Amino acid sequence: MAETRSAERAHDAPGTAVVPGASPLLLDLKGITKRFPGVVALDSVDFELRRGEVHVLFGENGAGKSTLTNIVAGTYPADQGRIIFDGRQISHLTPHQARLAGISPVFQEFSLAPDLTVEENLFLGREHAAWGVLHKREMRAKARAVLGDLGFDLRANARVGGLMRAQQQMTEIAKALLQDVKLLILDEPTASLTEHETERLFALIDRLKREGVGIIYVSHRIGEIKRVGDRVTVLRDGKKIGTVDAAAIEEIQLVEMMTGRKIDVLFPTIDCKPGPVLIEASHLSTADGRLVDVSFTVRAGEIVGVAGLVGCGKSELARAVFGLEKLSAGEITIEGAPVRRPKPSTMLKRGVCYFPSDRVAEGLALPRPLRENVSVAALDLPNFTRLRFIRRARERAEVKAIVETLRIRPPQIERPVDFLSGGNRQKVMLARGLTREIRMFLFDEPTVGIDVGAKTEVYQFMKELAEGGSAVLLISSELPEVLNLSHRVYVMHRGRVVTELSGAEITEQAVLSLFFDKKGFGGGAKPAASA
Amino acid sequence: MVQSQVDRPLESPLWRRVVQRSLSFGVLPILLLALFLFFGLYEPKFWRAANLINVLRNSSYLMIISSGQMLVLIIGGFDLSVGAVVALTSVAAALTMASLYVSMPESAYLVIVIGVVVALVVGSLVGVVNGLTVAILKVNPFMVTLGTMSIAFGIALYTTTGVPVYGMPDEFTREFGRLRWFNLPVSIYLTAGILLVLWWVMNWTKLGRYIYAIGGNIHAARVSGIPTLVYIVATYTMCSFLAAVTGVLLTARVGSGEATLGPTLMLESIAAAVIGGVSLRGGVGRIELVALGALFLALVTNGMNLIRVDSKIQTIVVGAVLILAVGLDRLKLARR
Amino acid sequence: MTLRTMGGAAARRGIVRLGLAFMVSYGALPIIIALMYLGFGLVEPRFHSGDNAINILKQASYLAILATGQMLALLTRGFDLSIGQMTSMVSVASALVMMGVLARNPDAVVLAILAACAVGLAAGLATGAVNGLCVAVFRINPFVVTLGMQGIAMGFATTISDGFPVFNLPIEFTEVFSRSSWLGIPAPVAVCIIVLAVAYIVLNHSVLGRSWYILGGNPRAAHIAGLSSRVHLVSAYVMCSLFVAVGALLLTARTGSGEPNLGGGLMLQSIAAAVIGGVSLRGGEGRVIHVVYGALFVTILSIGMNFVRIDGYIQQIVLGVVVVAAVYLDLLRTRIR
Repeated sequence: MAETRSAERAHDAPGTAVVPGASPLLLDLKGITKRFPGVVALDSVDFELRRGEVHVLFGENGAGKSTLTNIVAGTYPADQGRIIFDGRQISHLTPHQARLAGISPVFQEFSLAPDLTVEENLFLGREHAAWGVLHKREMRAKARAVLGDLGFDLRANARVGGLMRAQQQMTEIAKALLQDVKLLILDEPTASLTEHETERLFALIDRLKREGVGIIYVSHRIGEIKRVGDRVTVLRDGKKIGTVDAAAIEEIQLVEMMTGRKIDVLFPTIDCKPGPVLIEASHLSTADGRLVDVSFTVRAGEIVGVAGLVGCGKSELARAVFGLEKLSAGEITIEGAPVRRPKPSTMLKRGVCYFPSDRVAEGLALPRPLRENVSVAALDLPNFTRLRFIRRARERAEVKAIVETLRIRPPQIERPVDFLSGGNRQKVMLARGLTREIRMFLFDEPTVGIDVGAKTEVYQFMKELAEGGSAVLLISSELPEVLNLSHRVYVMHRGRVVTELSGAEITEQAVLSLFFDKKGFGGGAKPAASA
Repeated sequence: MVQSQVDRPLESPLWRRVVQRSLSFGVLPILLLALFLFFGLYEPKFWRAANLINVLRNSSYLMIISSGQMLVLIIGGFDLSVGAVVALTSVAAALTMASLYVSMPESAYLVIVIGVVVALVVGSLVGVVNGLTVAILKVNPFMVTLGTMSIAFGIALYTTTGVPVYGMPDEFTREFGRLRWFNLPVSIYLTAGILLVLWWVMNWTKLGRYIYAIGGNIHAARVSGIPTLVYIVATYTMCSFLAAVTGVLLTARVGSGEATLGPTLMLESIAAAVIGGVSLRGGVGRIELVALGALFLALVTNGMNLIRVDSKIQTIVVGAVLILAVGLDRLKLARR
Repeated sequence: MTLRTMGGAAARRGIVRLGLAFMVSYGALPIIIALMYLGFGLVEPRFHSGDNAINILKQASYLAILATGQMLALLTRGFDLSIGQMTSMVSVASALVMMGVLARNPDAVVLAILAACAVGLAAGLATGAVNGLCVAVFRINPFVVTLGMQGIAMGFATTISDGFPVFNLPIEFTEVFSRSSWLGIPAPVAVCIIVLAVAYIVLNHSVLGRSWYILGGNPRAAHIAGLSSRVHLVSAYVMCSLFVAVGALLLTARTGSGEPNLGGGLMLQSIAAAVIGGVSLRGGEGRVIHVVYGALFVTILSIGMNFVRIDGYIQQIVLGVVVVAAVYLDLLRTRIR
């Protein structure tokens, strides 16, 4: 593939090695602003990328990294600002035009047709064909060449829907590289790759750099940044914090830039009077291998945080306890009594409530009113029903009271949840925990996509729960949240609990150092079980 | 690593490849064979050449219309209007031919050609409307085609006032409906041709590949620069066109234009496609299996006729087979 | 989205928005129905006669009962295509039972009618149970299940009746369930009111109805909130079929014979009525009043067209157009929101 690639590029980039810094600008963004309902996702951000440069975008979840890459890829337009790509100002970019112009995004959401083969997906939308008739042999040869060249362990005729996530990721990368690329966007490309595959990817990145391709590299992993990055731009809360030289910057400085001193969110101090163990999970493993031999406990009156990178299995941990993941081994004990087969309805009866991170997909029935969404988890209780009939007046009164307690705005209980903001939707879900006797609360990313005011209220809610003697499990990708609220913290990595910290041990460095592999870059110490 | 994986299929012995290949067809061929044996042993008349040709001819109509249904199902849609399109084309063909034949009785073949073309165009128009409504207005395909079904039936019935239309040139019935080459009805050759072309389209052309891609993940298709709207409209049009072809063939066979032609074809076309393993969620389906599905249904019907199962009970069997086929498919998925 | 990007004068936008707001919350349907009723009357004054008003109500009642059943399936993100043929099947089965009982004992009219009703309802119950089990337990696409059931029911209806109507049902049956008035309300209308009331209570006051709404609104959320989908899905299809059986019995009483071809167009009409009335095809949204609107709309349209002597076949075309338009409007409504 290297031959075809450099041949194709010969006319637009002279074959000389390109030195970053001296090389011309490929992409220049000025004052990019993007608003979503209720949130400013990007606030007047500048960004530039040179030919042959790897420019890392670094920041927490929700910092605006993916919004920025999506704007470059043409997924949606910027509200304000100017984009100059390859010397020309660009407006009204569609994903297709972006690809034609040489911008190839590799997102975590794959753009693959599951029922086609790897080879068919590689060429999707740009098949070699004459008069609509496919040149299959030619494409097969090229596909094999590309895959061989990349060193990916992929069969060209495998059906994409049946592949592991890592293999789909490779397909996506290969697809992006098949065409004449000027700008490559890699969004957490190593998240599901093994160490070996990661090395191949980095070698590839080095080669692309030499060929003058500009790369926007989105990552959480500090080791990787030092390994492949030339410059790093740190985003926080939609604002650009700064752009630094990757070689010169210390890891700790990057982390400081990423997390910052959050003056806008006040974390409450939460007293901890640990009582008896309420949730005990021992040696849990899931059938799909996302959890491997995980044990943990949560006591009454304490908040236990679970930290780790995206995909480390922290969300699956809570889901497994609530009966949403298929367990292959392990035992769950609630208030001293083992649970034979966990499933949501029995767990609710046992006093456990899980609040999913994806409120739209799993949390709420959007077309239904607030009232129904709140009372739904308690329809088996005499409080709300009599002989399987709903006591409507009682229901209204109870829900109204809870809505008042949680300050859901507007307090109209007949409004479809569709119309509520992110923060209020979250509160509607939390309200379920107050409709019945719940003593164990499993929060999965409770503050994703909600505004600062609502965040503070959610924290307050957790404080009251813990101080009232409930057990709280807090799963979050927002590190400050875990650090400031938790009495104990489990850190997870690749499906396992790596360590348990408590009290004064819970510091940013301690937790962060466990997020990343000691070796510096790449995947895990051990290859993923899936490969 | 890559090398070994690529080479592996070459190393396996021929018999294993043959077995694997036939396994990929699923249980349908085995079921067909079993039925074939069962009916034949129960009623030897079943095995007579005349009867088997009859089965083939009956299945050929269903094969054509089901392969159209398959296209729409693969792209993630639905077409309830195929039966109505058959009726509409039948009426259109008959009315055109009958009225032209009066004014130019000496040029029968020209009349036939014009009539067939008009019928195919009218039938395809329904597909264009279906496709545009689905693709542009983004209305649920199920409801769209339910609506156009009612509309097409309405037009067919209104223009004929529900009475069969006669007066087509005899040549039409003779040449199209009854002609045989090498003792096989022409419609069988035509069906074979259509199936081959469709197989080629689905496997060797951009059009086929895009139909699969759009049905599998329309978002990915769009991002990859596929003009999804064009392909969706094209697919619905192809489906209606194939239904129109069926309509013309059936008209030639019956010898008159009938607005009540093929009321069960909609159900049967979906049944054949689904029995042939086409997914209702889109993206999956193979023409050869759909043809087998249609053959299966025709075989069941014919066999039941021969062993004198009431035709009314046959609808029960078809319905049950449809549910069972999809149910078994679900089980297979669940085990995987 | 469309609204926000729309240009134009603020005032005009204000009016449009007000109109849309009314449409979103109440639907334009009540107004359209009223206009249609007035309009047909202007063309053909006999349309406004009292007799015709009662006729419209009776006709709409049959449709409303069936459409209520359809709505239950739609609420759970399902479908019931078997409604039409199920009607035929129940009609024939109950008629045959009635004749059977009368053949043994010509005087046992009451017993015959009761037995017929019981068998009709049982047939509905069984059909619904099979539909529901296939959908909920075996997870087969509801469309396929009910399409298959359509064939099965049709075959059943024609088989047991040999394809011919079952005539000579006792006049009392027709008298009671079609011609008589209960407290001054024509019998079909009264039964319809009862069905609608039952549906209303179940939907709004029972755990069952609530579960259907939540399940249809978001099945995964329902699971996480501890609702069992199987039981509730099965019961939705069972209740749907029970309502259909009731409708079928009333229709049988009206014609005075068991008709194997009774249900021909009813499937389309029931879906049309439900969807036109405002029941969402995406599940989780739909109320009893929607069905009433939809049934009135379809009935007034078809009776009105009869009055102004529009060909029956043209009516079929109109119905098709109206169905597509209604679904499109429903889509617009949710997009505007």
